[in-house]
Amino acid sequence: MTTQDRNMSQIIEPSKTTSNLLGILLRTKLFWGLAALYLVGILSSPLTSAGRNIFLSYGNTTDVLRQVSVTGIVAIGMTLVILIAGIDLSVGSLLALGSVTCAMLLTKEGWTAATYFGIPATGLVVLLSSLFVMNFIGKAAGLIGQRSDNTSAKSADMAFRSVFMLGAVVVALLAMVWAASQVDTKFGVLAVLLVVPCIGAVMGALNGTLIVAGKLQPFIVTLAMMVGVLGLARVIAGQDTAVYPVYTGTNATINFENLRILLWGVIPVPVLFFLGVLIVFQFVTRMTTFGGYLRAIGGNEEASRLAGINVGRIKIITYAISGYLAALASVLYVAQFRQGKPDAGVGLELDAIAAVVIGGTSLMGGKGSVIGTLVGVLIFGFLGNILQLNNIDSNTQLILKGVIIILAVLVQEGQLQSFFAGLKFKGSLGKRRP
Amino acid sequence: MNVPAQGSLELSSRLAEDQASRRALVQLRHVGKRFGAVQVLRDLNLDIYPGEIHALMGENGAGKSTLVKILSGVISHFDGEVVIAGQPQHFSNPREAEAAGVIIMHQELSLVREMSVAENLTLGHEQLRFGLIVDRKAAAAKTRDLLDRFGFHLAPDTLVKTLRVGEQQIVEIVRALSLDTKLLIMDEPTSALSQAETDVLMEIIRDLALEGVAILYISHRMDEVFEIADRITVLRDGDLIGSKMAADVDRSDVIEMMVGRRIEANDIVRKNAASKENVLSVRNLTVDSQQSLGQAAQRHLVQDVSFDLQQREILGIAGLLGAGRTELLETIFGARGGKVSGEITINGVPRIIATPEEAVEHGLALITEDRKNTGLLLNFDINDNVALPSLARWSWAGMPSFKKITTETQSKIRELGIRCSGPEHIVGTLSGGNQQKVVLSKWLATNPRILLLDEPTRGIDIGAKDEIYQLIGQLADQGLSIVIASSEIPELMAVCDRLIVLCEGRKIGELTKKQFSADLIKEMSMQFAE
Repeated sequence: MTTQDRNMSQIIEPSKTTSNLLGILLRTKLFWGLAALYLVGILSSPLTSAGRNIFLSYGNTTDVLRQVSVTGIVAIGMTLVILIAGIDLSVGSLLALGSVTCAMLLTKEGWTAATYFGIPATGLVVLLSSLFVMNFIGKAAGLIGQRSDNTSAKSADMAFRSVFMLGAVVVALLAMVWAASQVDTKFGVLAVLLVVPCIGAVMGALNGTLIVAGKLQPFIVTLAMMVGVLGLARVIAGQDTAVYPVYTGTNATINFENLRILLWGVIPVPVLFFLGVLIVFQFVTRMTTFGGYLRAIGGNEEASRLAGINVGRIKIITYAISGYLAALASVLYVAQFRQGKPDAGVGLELDAIAAVVIGGTSLMGGKGSVIGTLVGVLIFGFLGNILQLNNIDSNTQLILKGVIIILAVLVQEGQLQSFFAGLKFKGSLGKRRP
Repeated sequence: MNVPAQGSLELSSRLAEDQASRRALVQLRHVGKRFGAVQVLRDLNLDIYPGEIHALMGENGAGKSTLVKILSGVISHFDGEVVIAGQPQHFSNPREAEAAGVIIMHQELSLVREMSVAENLTLGHEQLRFGLIVDRKAAAAKTRDLLDRFGFHLAPDTLVKTLRVGEQQIVEIVRALSLDTKLLIMDEPTSALSQAETDVLMEIIRDLALEGVAILYISHRMDEVFEIADRITVLRDGDLIGSKMAADVDRSDVIEMMVGRRIEANDIVRKNAASKENVLSVRNLTVDSQQSLGQAAQRHLVQDVSFDLQQREILGIAGLLGAGRTELLETIFGARGGKVSGEITINGVPRIIATPEEAVEHGLALITEDRKNTGLLLNFDINDNVALPSLARWSWAGMPSFKKITTETQSKIRELGIRCSGPEHIVGTLSGGNQQKVVLSKWLATNPRILLLDEPTRGIDIGAKDEIYQLIGQLADQGLSIVIASSEIPELMAVCDRLIVLCEGRKIGELTKKQFSADLIKEMSMQFAE
């Protein structure tokens, strides 16, 4: 990357370049925090009887990474939502709903609530996203969207549009038919990976639509969704069986086991998913117009609207992505814990928000990054691991986590010094911002 | 309330005689302030007398606001000495300043929007019953007294957020006046007021001065300053350039003191005349207010307005605050919800524009009156702001070309003469004039055919204003068609080829350049105002 590129737009690349050492240290303070935490982990770790450091052991590291993968995927969706100055409290319940439907699709034959809901949702999401992809390809290839008053050019444009539209409908139908073909047997791993996230996306889009069309506060809408979807998950699960066990090979297809193995004996598959989602959304937020619009909307929604940006559509898509990722995480959750249950995601939304905020994304919107969220998630994950290895009881862990969130945010915002200065009270009560 | 018309004249002559014998209320001695390497105020000596209306003028960055902050205790570290009523004072916070009788009325409104007028006026000085409960009745009575005293008729229980900006400003003024004030600092108090409201404010200020309150009046508006001030002090780049009796100087003297060179206020020079071709036609446009619960009846914000705009023409829209200027422009741009009827034709094709997105597609651009809240991303750099409406066009396959953004931004910075450190300069730290040029840049980058400008020079220095006028002329010469809505009649007269005048949402008439006269425009815009 050339200097010029690096200095580019905040919409695309928000960091201000400071070349001196202090500047670099300050900009990367989050990574240093993570490194320091890791060092604490090594130093405080108990040793095995053979004298090996447990914290550093391969098994421990992969355990932590597995755990953070589920939260991490959800937190990436949350990052996008917070970038547009929104909030999504419903992700925990969406994960619960996802885990229940996922477990049912894996273990039940025939039409159930999960399939009745999941297959149309899949059709809808695949239709809209393939329309988007077709439109995108068409525009990139210069076939459609050329502004022209020429009649023949206009009709060519229309013709290409209809072909693309038809193509999208065909793709959506194929997806539904393929999913429906698995109803009589049980769903395989690919089918749940297709269907379950689509359920989340539909619910997320519903969040977005209510926020945009009803001009409601994201906090309220997603709070209602959090409560409502939790109930829905319980209803779908049935009152008797609150937990759906998934035993690959006995009551579910053996290939679902693929979601929890170590790939090539090295990388746990959930971690691979997390990395994939991370790379995609790092790219989306930094290098695409969509990412630019997210920051712009978070920076000043009204100015963005008046600049001719379709703010409503972008908001709905953002909430849909958040829902999609929460439900995708639920599939990994089911693979990892071998069960789906309505109380799977309790408190998850708060962990995700905490990770996003520790990662330096501003709740005011417009400023933040997906990479920051990765660091936030890792800090959270390793902290929990270190406390556990040292046998700190779980309630004390909660207290420490709370303290760490506040400290991390104070450091992030560069407010630590002024915080302590503020404690001295002199003149601080009457002080007005100049 | 009835101050004779020559009140300020009498006062100023009386002041001139008395000044030697009277003690100054505020004495500033060798006051200076430096931020890092920048000396924002240098060795300032100034006296402010009781009962004096003292105008403080200067361009942005001249040091006015620093001086105000020192007087009001916001800045507590400075060089030199401030003496108030004979007492050397060194305020460490605004509360101390208020206790000493220095009250500041901020340019930006600082009312609590969700509270009533009465609650706002008594905020912090609530009367309590049994030491616990806020006495609403007493508050309402006190508020009514205050409002009556200044001739305002607002119900004390009206929520501030339902008031128009001008009315909010009046509440703010009344709040400042309800305190025991010795020195009242007013920072651009009329920037959101209509002519009628401004007239009322002027009378109040004169009244207060007669009561012995010293007034430090900060404004960009020459008319006002000359109408009201006894003395005019001009700052430039942190230096006190002069402090003169208003009667001894004229407009161009003051401008020269402010800018450091003479600026002639002439009409802009146009090279190409407007063509006869209609670019935009608006027919019978009516806009109703959005109905919300609590609001009883719908009212017409714009009623049955028709006009044509020709290519290379600059059309002005005159009218008082609330005449529907902004609503008219916003509706043409598709930026307003609510019920709209009428017909808009662009280049001969009837169009329905429901969103700004469509407006941009049809070659329209709207520069809003409130550039900080609706025009700019203040925390972002110039690149981002210029690229925002064009981002999709400057992208391939959903990825913007950074190179394109930078080159376009750099060329706009050159063309419009934006003074900044480069394309990465954060917009919020630019001066008002340069911010406005960034807004213009971002819209010019979309290659618009029609430019809608709403109060294009609000809060901008005189020098920069002039640059913007020249720029508007050049753009029209290059083929753009421009609509300018403004509350400043001299501005419209200098820039426009033709004018329409609105009053209460209705079009009163249309004037060609030859017919322009400030009195006529003023009269037309007050057609329905009782």
